[in-house]
Amino acid sequence: MSNRLLPRLLQTPAVLLLLVWMLVPLSMTLYFSFIRYVLNSLRKPEWTTPSISNWRGFGNYEYVLNAKDFWFAIQNSVFIVSFILVLTVVLGLGIAVLVNRSFPGRGIVRVLLISPFFVMPAVNAVLWINMILDPVLGLNGLAVGGINALVDGLRDFPILGSFFSLWPEFEPISFRATQTSSYAVIMMVAWQWTPFAVLIFMTSLQSEDESTKEAATLDGASAWSQFINLTVPHLGRPIAIVIMIQSIFHLSLYAEIEIVSRGNGNKNLPYLIGEFTSNNIGAASATGIFAVILANIIAIFLLRMVGKTLMD
Amino acid sequence: MATVTQKSKLSNVLWPALAWIVAIIFFFPIFWLVFTSFKTDADAVKPEFLFRFTPTLENYTNMTQNYDYWKFATNSVITSTFATLFALIVGVPAAYAMAFDPSRHTKDILMWMLSTKMLPAAAVLYPMTFLTKNFLGIFDTHFLVILVLCLINLPIVIWMLFTYFKEIPKEIIEAGKMDGVTTWGEIKDILIPLAWGGIASTALLTFIFCWNEAYWTVRLTTIDAATLSKLIEGNRAPEGLFFGRLSAVSTAAIAPIVVLGWFCQKQLVAGLTFGAVK
Repeated sequence: MSNRLLPRLLQTPAVLLLLVWMLVPLSMTLYFSFIRYVLNSLRKPEWTTPSISNWRGFGNYEYVLNAKDFWFAIQNSVFIVSFILVLTVVLGLGIAVLVNRSFPGRGIVRVLLISPFFVMPAVNAVLWINMILDPVLGLNGLAVGGINALVDGLRDFPILGSFFSLWPEFEPISFRATQTSSYAVIMMVAWQWTPFAVLIFMTSLQSEDESTKEAATLDGASAWSQFINLTVPHLGRPIAIVIMIQSIFHLSLYAEIEIVSRGNGNKNLPYLIGEFTSNNIGAASATGIFAVILANIIAIFLLRMVGKTLMD
Repeated sequence: MATVTQKSKLSNVLWPALAWIVAIIFFFPIFWLVFTSFKTDADAVKPEFLFRFTPTLENYTNMTQNYDYWKFATNSVITSTFATLFALIVGVPAAYAMAFDPSRHTKDILMWMLSTKMLPAAAVLYPMTFLTKNFLGIFDTHFLVILVLCLINLPIVIWMLFTYFKEIPKEIIEAGKMDGVTTWGEIKDILIPLAWGGIASTALLTFIFCWNEAYWTVRLTTIDAATLSKLIEGNRAPEGLFFGRLSAVSTAAIAPIVVLGWFCQKQLVAGLTFGAVK
């Protein structure tokens, strides 16, 4: 009995800390989601204190379900995360295979490739939206301007000119606009997290059994069929882990969305909660509970996927 | 045979070249940030000065007046260091127990810990603000930021450490037990030296996550404990204004971590497996 006690004792601080961290704020959120609670109200000052007498039942939930941005925010959360996952896994696989062989300057290539992962999200967003994607002052605008100038110049050529005169002037895309801001966020986050996928895939590629591959080469298997039949199955576990860790981080994206367009056309659930929190705490809490439910659905799915392989 | 060698010669040039191009594309935004930081605010937005300009250090020399950089940087160093340290102090014993004395519930506990990491921070934003501001009075203190950073990273710390510790043969630990070594002695003299690489890369990754955290550090601070994330998010320029000085302070905000990452990349590459490699 006593030798079971010690391991439990060693885990207790971690378990207790996480339990308090999870339960205390969450039960408050749950309570606030059932009462009328706003930060400022001139007409109903009694609503500004979180009192049980302001009980609203499921009213906040109803309100949130009917709020115009709610379903959009859920869709958009899932859309952003899935898009980023596909991009980072595909790019990460390709790049990891590319740098797995040795070649001159491989060390430097690796350092350059990994660097975006160390950039803080706030800087990432400021850098991309201002200096790269801005339609006037960023490289986006400058590049499109350059192409237009080039086409303009080509119009004066004989024969070819008549072909180029049919070309329209290109318009740079504004990534702060309603339809495009989510793509800006996807681009910058994928840029930052592809290196993470590369790191994980690279490590497990190094543990791949070289002798099997050599045998396959001798048997005349092409590089592509080796990749599909040997490498990809070997990478099943790391792919699951990359998906799991990234989902954890990207479901709560906030800084990038705030900096790119202040949520214009691109709200996710955390952002919607943030907007409600500026005044309507009841609605914010109800949305929070929905976000917890969504996170749990995704967590069950992901943890199954990873958990199966974790203990053996 | 001749075609094979020709093909492999071609691919010996082609693939490395492609790898270099991809690497340069990925690094370009960072290069561009550093490059822009040497232009004046006025030059930074003029296409004619895109590549030809007079480099200036003005943005860096004025950084302290413009942004009070050092105060935020100090806060980032303090909070990230202590949060990483505390996460390890709590995480190492827990992961040790889970790896070497697993019970029926160990897997469930690990899964539960990870699931706390999945809880959306925004869902508890107001309760956290309310508790720390009105109730505990620790809003905008280093203590709060350290505590929160430690807690949000603890699940990943324990998971990473657990996967490293499991690689260590149980017999080594058992042998220590036979010789009458105390648990503390086992952790200090056997486990930590053996798993040093894993602990170091866990610490490194945690430090990076702490330094870059941009939700709680922005929302649970105002001035006193505000970190570099808050500095950048609070000072992001309206379109086109102050590109030069904003680039300089952004460069200064990411430089410590990027350079640290460069020096430790071998460690990271070797250590970042999360149990993915068998």
